[in-house]
Amino acid sequence: MKNIIKLISFLLISLSVSFSSANASSGVFKLSHDLGFGKDTNLDAITKGRLFQVVIMTQNRLVRKNLKGVTSAELATDWSGNADATEWTFNLRKGVKFHDGSDFDAEDVKYSLMRVKDPDIGSPAKKSMSSVTDIEIIDSHTVKMKLNTSFADFPLLLTDYRLRMIPSGSGDTIGKTGIGTGPFIVDKFDAEGTTILKANPDYWEGAPGLAEVHVIAIPDGEARVQALLTGQIDMNRYVPFAQKKIFDGNSKFKTTVVPTGNWRGMVMRTDTAPFDNPKVRKAVRLAVDRQELVDLVMGGAATVACDTPVAPSDQYRLNMKCPQNIKKAKKLLKEAGYPNGIEMTIHVSTKEPTWPTIAEVMQQQLAKAGIKAEVKMTPSKSYWKETWMKKAVAMTRWNERPADSALHEIYHSGAKWNESYFKNPDFDKNLANARGELNFNKRKKAYQNAQKTLWEESGTMIPYHVSKLVVTSSKVKNLDEVEVFSVRWHKVKVD
Amino acid sequence: MATKTVSEFKKKNIYFKISEVLVTMASKPSGFIGLSILVFHILLAFLSPYLAPYDFKAIDPSLMLQAPSSEYWFGTDSLGRDVFTRTIMGGRIALTITFFGSLIALLWGGLLGIFCGLVGGKIDDVVMRIVDAFLSIPWILAMLLIVSLLGTSTEVLIPALGFFYGKGIVRVARAATHDVIAKDFIVSARARGHGNLSIIWNEIIPNVRDAILVEGAMRWSWMLLGFSSLSFLGFGVSPPTPDWGLMISNARGLMSFAYWAVIAPIVGLSSLIIGINLTADAFAKALGIDRSTKAPV
Repeated sequence: MKNIIKLISFLLISLSVSFSSANASSGVFKLSHDLGFGKDTNLDAITKGRLFQVVIMTQNRLVRKNLKGVTSAELATDWSGNADATEWTFNLRKGVKFHDGSDFDAEDVKYSLMRVKDPDIGSPAKKSMSSVTDIEIIDSHTVKMKLNTSFADFPLLLTDYRLRMIPSGSGDTIGKTGIGTGPFIVDKFDAEGTTILKANPDYWEGAPGLAEVHVIAIPDGEARVQALLTGQIDMNRYVPFAQKKIFDGNSKFKTTVVPTGNWRGMVMRTDTAPFDNPKVRKAVRLAVDRQELVDLVMGGAATVACDTPVAPSDQYRLNMKCPQNIKKAKKLLKEAGYPNGIEMTIHVSTKEPTWPTIAEVMQQQLAKAGIKAEVKMTPSKSYWKETWMKKAVAMTRWNERPADSALHEIYHSGAKWNESYFKNPDFDKNLANARGELNFNKRKKAYQNAQKTLWEESGTMIPYHVSKLVVTSSKVKNLDEVEVFSVRWHKVKVD
Repeated sequence: MATKTVSEFKKKNIYFKISEVLVTMASKPSGFIGLSILVFHILLAFLSPYLAPYDFKAIDPSLMLQAPSSEYWFGTDSLGRDVFTRTIMGGRIALTITFFGSLIALLWGGLLGIFCGLVGGKIDDVVMRIVDAFLSIPWILAMLLIVSLLGTSTEVLIPALGFFYGKGIVRVARAATHDVIAKDFIVSARARGHGNLSIIWNEIIPNVRDAILVEGAMRWSWMLLGFSSLSFLGFGVSPPTPDWGLMISNARGLMSFAYWAVIAPIVGLSSLIIGINLTADAFAKALGIDRSTKAPV
């Protein structure tokens, strides 16, 4: 009898141990980043050097997109606008704590969002908050945002991946601490080495499935693929489609194709000859065969774009056709005073693995219109600092943003990241009109007019929006098959 | 019997010596193989534009990564270009740039080394310390800096490679000169009142020439490898020019399923380097230079 009691006790203890361990965070998930901003890399989401791979796991937004791409609650539980959409009231989630133990409340919301407008910080996300004039604290968990214009899509703007909530007054230290309300806590920040995150057991959506996340700096694209193959990292969201065959049929890896609004492109500085002439810019864009680029570079896994940064799934996207037209390209060059064509140097690097290939294919396509393009490699580590926005023609890449953010940030005459130095009063006016227009159809028309202007005059050639090939180790479970900013990281597990 | 002028005699003597060296080189199996590979590559570099079955830059989405076949002997690359065409043309630029780069390296390195060895003293000390300082700089970093600032044109690459690979030749030429200047014929030349330039041209160069030429031949293969490394990193020739280093770089990510796109340029590059090395070894032996005891600095 004594032995039976002992046995039952042992079984009960074993069961309880295994039950508790099944619910605990366990396993290490390793991923990489490209150290795009070198030593400026930090954990302050609103700065240029933000390390988004870490920030998206440690800090939350007020509003996010759900897995179907629809605006949904994150730290705000619900919201409503006044009749003319100039004031928006957000109710905040209660009982949420920051990693330093302090409570999340309305003060933090006001502080986090208003500092985006601070001219001393010079945040690239400033445009997303430009319409907000004040944030009024109604009570500890309610805020009212006052806008200088009607903005029917304002909550959509708050899904911007950089608008993260941090503790009030933490602006001076947030770049190193990364303190937020997210599922992971920064344990060690080493931008040029390995940043270590630990599970936040008090996360408001439940304890994460992982014990740790390691974010490793690997600047070169090819090296990141090799790191995945050798098991140094568990996920690579930037594997070129040409390399899909390496992973297909290999039981150690899982490949997923995720359509996105991310794009690669080529920037021509509109303040630099000969690209200061809109006809030259349009000639270059007309000389490009976008479908051929999609086929050769992406293996068909992309959606052709006619120089609009707006995602294919976005309600404001202007869908049009833009086939290669060599005859018209030559005509425009002649009208611009270049009957014998032009010469240009396309600056690339391996920071984005597909850039050299895109440039090499375009080189052949442009030659048909008399445009002689040289492809010049530049160091990948300093690309964003020394090449992008510096050279007359350089490759670029952008992640998906809501239509309003994308159009404002990349093309508005006052935008910090106006990479082509594009200045067009009509374009700016269309954006302003769209923001203030409560009627959806009229608002859509204004956004689409702005995109038409881009097709006619912009300095950025956007051939396609990529479908992303995400390759993970087969050990990784519960990873949502959506773009990176919508992934629910607390659910991810590693066997 | 017709009499010959001194210059005619010298010319005939040189031709005789060259043919004698070539015959000696080819008489050994390794020398014969090395020479054959080198001649094959040089002929290919000249004739490949006429032998190439396809346009080296013609891209075609419908022909991406085709395996080797009777139509495409070495298959196609990720942009649908014929790998055979690009491989046989892939050595043209590399051979041209490194050949002229080696000539520049030989010229400035050899002459400076001889001059320092002859004059000695403070000038020698200062020049050699400067050469030592340059030798301590990793050439690839310095080359990357130069091509980043000045571009990757032939006008930049040839003198830059010639400069960086000439540093080692300075030391070899100086050491060879030291062996010669103590000889009686130099002392007697000085006693006859000959100046430094005359002594260099008439007495030293004929005696150190062989050692410098052998060193230059070795530097050529190293320079070829260096140039291909630059291309591999994307800082050599610009696309779409076919170049082995660039081809290896573009296809390395596809190696596990499209091996043909990367093997062909690797075979091209390595065979040329082996050919030059075997030729340089045979050249040294034919001239009576033992490279195992007189290793380059």
